[in-house]
Amino acid sequence: MAVKAVVPEAHAATGPTPPPAIPGYDWTQHRWGFGVDATKCIGCLRCVEACKRENDVAADAHHFRTWVERYVYLEGEDKPRIDSHHDPVNIEASGSEGEYRFANRYKDAKVEKAFFVPKLCNHCTHPACVQVCPTGATYKTEDGVVLIDHNYCIGCQYCVQACPYGARFFNERKQVTDKCTWCYHRITKGLQPACVEVCPVGARIFGDLKDKQSPISQFIRNNRTYVLRPESGNAPNVYYVGIDKDVV
Amino acid sequence: MPKHISRLIILLVTFGAAAYAAKVFFTADSFYAYGHYRGKSVAEIASDKPKYKGSEYCQSCHAERYAEWSKGVHHSVEIGKVVQCEVCHQAAGGRDAGGMFQHVATGIDHPASGKLPVPTDSLKLCPLCHEKMPGRPAEQRQIVIATHAGTQQCTACHNPHSPRMIVVAGAAAGQAETGAMGKAAICAGCHGGEGVSVNPVWPNLAGQHSAYLVDALKAYRTGARQSAMMSATAAGLSDADIQSLSDHYAAMKLKVAASAAGSASAAAGKAKADTCATCHGAEGVSGNPAWPSLAGQQKDYLVGALKAYQEGVRKNEIMAGMAKGLSDADIDALATYYSSATVH
Repeated sequence: MAVKAVVPEAHAATGPTPPPAIPGYDWTQHRWGFGVDATKCIGCLRCVEACKRENDVAADAHHFRTWVERYVYLEGEDKPRIDSHHDPVNIEASGSEGEYRFANRYKDAKVEKAFFVPKLCNHCTHPACVQVCPTGATYKTEDGVVLIDHNYCIGCQYCVQACPYGARFFNERKQVTDKCTWCYHRITKGLQPACVEVCPVGARIFGDLKDKQSPISQFIRNNRTYVLRPESGNAPNVYYVGIDKDVV
Repeated sequence: MPKHISRLIILLVTFGAAAYAAKVFFTADSFYAYGHYRGKSVAEIASDKPKYKGSEYCQSCHAERYAEWSKGVHHSVEIGKVVQCEVCHQAAGGRDAGGMFQHVATGIDHPASGKLPVPTDSLKLCPLCHEKMPGRPAEQRQIVIATHAGTQQCTACHNPHSPRMIVVAGAAAGQAETGAMGKAAICAGCHGGEGVSVNPVWPNLAGQHSAYLVDALKAYRTGARQSAMMSATAAGLSDADIQSLSDHYAAMKLKVAASAAGSASAAAGKAKADTCATCHGAEGVSGNPAWPSLAGQQKDYLVGALKAYQEGVRKNEIMAGMAKGLSDADIDALATYYSSATVH
């Protein structure tokens, strides 16, 4: 078949293809997972800022790989009020689009319940975005990360539409779609993703699901965790603690 | 075979062969190596250079700051609360010549790329985490800025690398003064360099009786009087320090503008003040140095003090009895009157 014809001969002869040439890293030894403890999040948005710096994301309020949502239940209201750093009130409070801050807009309101929920790409086991990509520019790696090959992406944005979590956005500068990579360039060097590194309260947990002593394995073992939109069939890999039914 | 059929077959085969050749030619070598994608792109993405270096990276050059930080509450590993250096000072890696964050390939790391920013406006930075806000978990240390510090910079009192440690403002400004003046620099962070406090909930000290100030500081030191800020500050003072500080502030002249004088509330307060005058003087300047003068004192502080006596938070038999009979309106009127009373 055509498939075999394009595989380099040396590989075809020696059986399974060797893993990608990443120094000191074998992707067959890892399966990454992410945890979010919403009971700890203080909404400081340092993760949003760090992610932008680390990954060279446009420094405006409307392009981001990770974000934090604030859910506020006021007395006498059925539905929560939800805002994020790109809400105009929060942009005004931060002073510019390149800075991120939650305005203290509910300080005098009668708040029944309120909490913050950090969000990012779920790196699903059955990702809808990969399913719809017409060029093979986005894919799922052996170690459980969904990546985008910016050289092959044609910017059609089918994947932006397909993602049930709104995790993808269009990078106008490069004319390709963009999203969280769990800082693949960091985790393959033994580092934590930038958002996890800077979180001052430990609300973001990252690690190897194959290592039973890793922070993420312990987080899942020691908590009753939940994933967003389980009914979508995407089998997401970001595990949440401390969120409400209104969080989707 | 009819000619037109064989031509059609030749055409289809040629087209198929051309399409196949084009596919082989245009498909990248590593495509399909692991799946329906370019296998080499995995290593390409992984080869990007990390920009956040972690606090250990800072340690080799900034050992002193690192030691200070690693002992403080911003490095509480046991409860998982660690504020890394780069949270406030920004990423150390991947900068261009202008200190901006450009593409990884061209980025230069600190220190080669220049100095990292030192945040100048702590009143903007610290509240990102510590401003009291619905939604923040109760375990997070939170303050209401207006009553905690007003417009005062956080760094006037707190060392950002170890926030529970109270900054010696004088030392921070490079003044190596010792004795009362050096210590007074600490007080000045809240009570003002001229003994007029920067926030109305904290008392003015200028022109206050020395004996009263000595009693107050000693009460904070023993715990007889409670205040998170003052207890910590007074704990480090010797008797001699307390005496010299009190003398220092007693010798100052209180300079405040009599703003609310003549208002209805002040007049109501004057009518109520007869009882107070017995001890605190007709003009709010007490005759006995053990009792505080009230003239020109901060209004919010006076209100707070009277309420603290009412609730028993602040203990004094005479004042407890006096404050018991006062309504909120009375307290407000008295505080307005004394805060506006002319200072002699």
